[in-house]
Amino acid sequence: MRRTVQRALVILFASAALGLAFNAVSPRSIRYVTPPKAVLQPKDTVTLDEAHRLWGDGTTFFLDARAPADYAAGHIANALSLPAEDFDEHYPQVAQMLTTDTAIVAYCDGTECELSHELTEKLREHGYTNIRILMNGWTSWHKAGYPTDTGKQP
Amino acid sequence: MKLIELLVRLVVGGVFVVAGALKILHPTAFVNDIANYRLMPHDLINMLAITLPWVEVVAGGLLIAGIWKRANALLITFLMIVFLVAIGQALYRGLDIRCGCFGTVEARRVSALALAEDAALLGMSLWLFWRVRD
Repeated sequence: MRRTVQRALVILFASAALGLAFNAVSPRSIRYVTPPKAVLQPKDTVTLDEAHRLWGDGTTFFLDARAPADYAAGHIANALSLPAEDFDEHYPQVAQMLTTDTAIVAYCDGTECELSHELTEKLREHGYTNIRILMNGWTSWHKAGYPTDTGKQP
Repeated sequence: MKLIELLVRLVVGGVFVVAGALKILHPTAFVNDIANYRLMPHDLINMLAITLPWVEVVAGGLLIAGIWKRANALLITFLMIVFLVAIGQALYRGLDIRCGCFGTVEARRVSALALAEDAALLGMSLWLFWRVRD
């Protein structure tokens, strides 16, 4: 039994080391210590009701910050996919449809989700000024029974 | 019986290799999935997202390959207990979150079904731990 536990620990630490090494060279590497949570001002967010109203007006672009597979599985109707994780790859396609003063609502999924914050930061670096976040976006929108869609971005 | 053991190793190991590999593909999404469970201290979430998928892939791969089977069955059993607790507490607290069990390919939420699947895998890994000898 003792030998088994020792071996299990060897596997545990060796694979953890592999993960650390891989993260050091991966193009999708993340920070070792989780960055502090973004502190959001009320002006940086929209409520679900407000988001739904903006959606109905048709003048606000909804951007889905999650991975493309999540977007394909279900997203807010008419939302565009712009994954925070692969921003540089997807940005040029989406940028054609936006100007820097376009009204944007960014969302991801879950109350602890930081992807929409990351996306917002990246867009601000590109000069966008009118972005707000819908917290717990996908889940709250979906639960409210508001219009959704499935499938990849054309 | 040897054949059953091989089959169980293939199933358990296969699930772990696939689940781990899919998480490695999208580390940021996995960070979010972990955060949504509201279990981990915030600072440590990234570290877990970096290392855990590799433990899954290596332990699953070695189990399939038949190297240190018992040690890998023990490690997988331990992980399955952790996953069960994570999903169980999310259900108990009424968190409506994505499972994150298989990275981003499944949009599945935490559910009684996910809990049952985990329990089945835990049963299989326990059985392997009890049965195999290195």
